Amino acid sequence: MRDSRRLRLTLVLLLLSAFTLTALDFNSAQTGPLAALRRGIDTVFGPVQSVLGGAAGTVGGALGGLPRLGSYQSDNKKLQQTNDRLRGQLAAQSGLQCQVDQLNALMHLVSYTKYRTVPAHVIAVGPSGAFEWTATIDAGSVDGLKDGMTVVTGSGLVGRTKEVSTRTSRVLLLSDPDFTVGGTLIGQSSVGFAVGNGAKPMTYSLASTRSVVRKGDVLLTTGSDTYAPGVPIGTVTTVTPDTNAISRTASIAPFVDVSALDLVGVITDPSRTAPRIPLRPVAAGPKATSSPCAAAVPQGPVPTSTPSPAPKPKPKPKPVPSPSGTPTPTRSP
Amino acid sequence: MTVQRFLLGTATVVTALLLQLTVIGRLPLPGAAPDLLLVLVVAFGFAEGPMAGMVTGWVSGMLADALSTHELGRLALAYALAGYVTGMLQDDTERSTLRPFGAVLLGAVTALTAYVGEGILLGDPRVFVQPVLRALVSSVPYDVVLTPLVVPLVAGLVRRLDVDPLRRI
Repeated sequence: MRDSRRLRLTLVLLLLSAFTLTALDFNSAQTGPLAALRRGIDTVFGPVQSVLGGAAGTVGGALGGLPRLGSYQSDNKKLQQTNDRLRGQLAAQSGLQCQVDQLNALMHLVSYTKYRTVPAHVIAVGPSGAFEWTATIDAGSVDGLKDGMTVVTGSGLVGRTKEVSTRTSRVLLLSDPDFTVGGTLIGQSSVGFAVGNGAKPMTYSLASTRSVVRKGDVLLTTGSDTYAPGVPIGTVTTVTPDTNAISRTASIAPFVDVSALDLVGVITDPSRTAPRIPLRPVAAGPKATSSPCAAAVPQGPVPTSTPSPAPKPKPKPKPVPSPSGTPTPTRSP
Repeated sequence: MTVQRFLLGTATVVTALLLQLTVIGRLPLPGAAPDLLLVLVVAFGFAEGPMAGMVTGWVSGMLADALSTHELGRLALAYALAGYVTGMLQDDTERSTLRPFGAVLLGAVTALTAYVGEGILLGDPRVFVQPVLRALVSSVPYDVVLTPLVVPLVAGLVRRLDVDPLRRI
């Protein structure tokens, strides 16, 4: 028979030590020995995850595509037709875009597609799948990333960085219940908050009861010290009719499908000094002085990286597929 | 012997954790992903008893916690408890094919309950009814499905370690 006293003692010790650590970590900030320990483990696991995650992403993409193999041909044809049509539209709109850029330059405004981004691949996800909506990306502090930076794809908001280590960072995805972002509906001035809701659509609560929220309205980030402004979040799917509540709530279907992420961009714009303005005014610099039509071309990339995945100038935020077609970024050491 | 056991445990735990984060967690499965690490902990508990189960659970949970955004020690507590409980199941001498499945089911439910309990104690906004139900109907059954892949493998590895010194004598 087993030594049951020793067993029980060990169990109690293990449970107590685990819970003590939890309590300590719960109260500690991003600094301190526990945070250092976490960063150390991240640094060790990071490179292995990059290698495994890159291979796994390819294999997973191939496997995930297998059931749909038959439909690829028809999809291809349809996409080609759409492509042709969009090309025509783009040509027609390039003149219009030029005017918009001129106006923006005059008003010192810039859209989110012009932000400087560091491209990164999603290499892993969080360990407690049902409760945590996080992803690990293969860019870290060496690439200029910091905590609280906005992560985007060509379609819109993905989340924000949390716990940046040397070569990898964790991204809190917009579906995480811990995720909150200030949002403004296009064409309205009132500000509200969108909160992650797990597998369900995000919940958007609007402080003002006077503003009219309609189905299909597009929600943009308001911008704060942690979020870049003007990034599309999603569209309103349902509006909760409330008669006497002091705030309005609506469901937001995000543009980005966080369960199928590959290439993302982290907005590393150094100038985040003008919070709470829907569109960021351009600080004095090359942007304001450059010729208006050249503004259609994305700004020069960050020294550490080549083509940014997100910057795709488009007149209106629309749910477009994630930028899997963009060339794989190469990062110089 | 003990060193070999320790090395075996560490190697399998690290491999399982990496697989979990980079491959299994990203599989396009409906609902929440299976938890390979938990199944491994249960397998160790089931093969070697409650002591091995809870120590493996504590260590692997701590590693997973370090690579997460929640507080350290939460999964460590949940997995240690799961390893202990399933280790107690090993007590009986009779062998049946259904027993490992029951052990994984019990371990998964124990770990989920412990994790949710801690979440409620800490006031974690991520722990509410919908994700718990989601884990119960997707993650837990997936874990049970992983049983025949992991439990015999761990049992085989442990048995091999047990046999080795005899061969040398």
